Amino acid sequence: MESTLSSSTKQKRTPWKPRPDWLEMLILLVPAVLLLTAFVILPTIEAFVMSFQREGLLGRNRVFAGFENYLEVFSRPENLQSAWQSLYFALIVAPLEIVLAFAAALLISRPFVGVAIYRTLFFLTTAVPTGVAAIAWSWFLNPQTGWANWILVSLGLEPKQWLLDSSTALPTLAVITAWAGVGFAAILLTAGLQQIPEDLYEASRIDGANGIQQFWNITIPLISPTLFLVTLLVFLRSLTTFGQIHLLTQGGPADSTMVFIYRIYQDAFFNFRQTYAAAQSVILFLVLLILALLQFRFIGRKVHYE
Amino acid sequence: MNKILSRVLFYIGISLYAALLVLPLLTMLSVSFRSDGDVYNPSFFPPNPTLEPYQIALEKFPVLRFLGNSFLVSSLVTLGVMLISSCTGYALARISSPVSNFIFAVVIGLLLVPGEVTFLPLYIMINRLGWIDSYLALTLPFIASPIGIFLMRQFFKSLPQELFDAARMDGAGHLRMLWHIAMPLATPALGALAALTFLGTWNMYLYPLVVTNSEELRTAQIALRFISADEAVRYNIVAAAAVIILLPTLIAFLFAQRAFVRGIAMGSLKG
Repeated sequence: MESTLSSSTKQKRTPWKPRPDWLEMLILLVPAVLLLTAFVILPTIEAFVMSFQREGLLGRNRVFAGFENYLEVFSRPENLQSAWQSLYFALIVAPLEIVLAFAAALLISRPFVGVAIYRTLFFLTTAVPTGVAAIAWSWFLNPQTGWANWILVSLGLEPKQWLLDSSTALPTLAVITAWAGVGFAAILLTAGLQQIPEDLYEASRIDGANGIQQFWNITIPLISPTLFLVTLLVFLRSLTTFGQIHLLTQGGPADSTMVFIYRIYQDAFFNFRQTYAAAQSVILFLVLLILALLQFRFIGRKVHYE
Repeated sequence: MNKILSRVLFYIGISLYAALLVLPLLTMLSVSFRSDGDVYNPSFFPPNPTLEPYQIALEKFPVLRFLGNSFLVSSLVTLGVMLISSCTGYALARISSPVSNFIFAVVIGLLLVPGEVTFLPLYIMINRLGWIDSYLALTLPFIASPIGIFLMRQFFKSLPQELFDAARMDGAGHLRMLWHIAMPLATPALGALAALTFLGTWNMYLYPLVVTNSEELRTAQIALRFISADEAVRYNIVAAAAVIILLPTLIAFLFAQRAFVRGIAMGSLKG
């Protein structure tokens, strides 16, 4: 009895002496903490600080200016116009992209011969960089010679100026953006459709439900949380669309595609008003934050539900 | 009979839809094989197919250099993200302490900060550091990725504790457990994270635009803007350059579609 006890305590005392946890933690965490602080946290703080400052004259340091920049942002009508353009743009992109992607996802949700080929084609725009997407459409939309007008004319409709007309430029950009995002949204919606248990369809088939009934009574109710989430995600992304606009219209014609993020870029790098642009950025940040928090809440609830 | 008919109709419908979705890419491909005179010919196929636009695009613009830049930057960021996310994610998941809980909370918060808000102060900082027109500016700020850290932390958290207990008994420290136990199990998750990061970096536009001035440092995306401004009339040249620039991601996607799909699903829905 006594001997077993002593041997077990001995065993506890003698073996390995691991490196202390804190040292390993330091090695594993310090690089990330330093990098995140330098390149994400500090710039975010600086954006806020800058937005309350005024540019110093003749290269002097920036000075505190209170809410000056914010007041200016809200008093200038062009900012309101840009905010409206961003919203208008996102309100076209999100539903259009979701409808196109949902149709694609539904078509490939059941296995059939050749499904892999169609899946690849439907997801393909994921692999198309923004710049390439813009170039692909610019020839298509050329008012004199592009196919878009050629199709319109052969259908007996009036040709359009597309990106060169201030009334059609923004919706046209929205269509391009929605197209470029179809692969992305289709991937997410396909993942959502795959989570619907197959037995539900089996059971309903035994009960005599047809495809349309299954769609309305099983697919739609079970996919709607994902659908909502992806719509929100696409909406969020399209509020900060920049590449296509920079490539195709640069905010024009007549400022008709000067969405908010493009206005910030313009004010910071062409009008050289960085602190003012910082105030615009902070406002955009707050809007995006609210939407992202909404999305977070929703993801949390969905995971909970499962 | 009815069944066959509905099958045929299904294939016709889905093919038309797929064709419609890839049509803009096909028109770009078609125009890239045309001589200057045929650019505005409305035929679907190039009337007299030629490789001339490709030749001109490659001679006039350093297209391969642009691609090389994109490739270098995206690869470096991807490798960095994989390394940092694994280390940090492991520490946050498997070493419990108030510090790691706090850092995890910060990482969650940072998931909500969009890059479009920080690009301006980040640019000012890069400028102050004298890093404009450097690969450092294009890569270092993105090596520590909140989404990457979050995803790897979630993955490592899901591994059973017994795996680590056994290694601990054999005297392994955390670094060795990370390398020999956690990392090998994480291959699919890391692959998905790599695909997601590579694609995201390749597609970056606004930030590389403002931190590069010289042609040598331009990434492929930004370069297209300058090529299309330079060759506003000759669509065939611009299209040829765009096709060349599309090829790497297209090939990567065709070969690693699974990783891309998983990466996108993981990064967007669970993040």
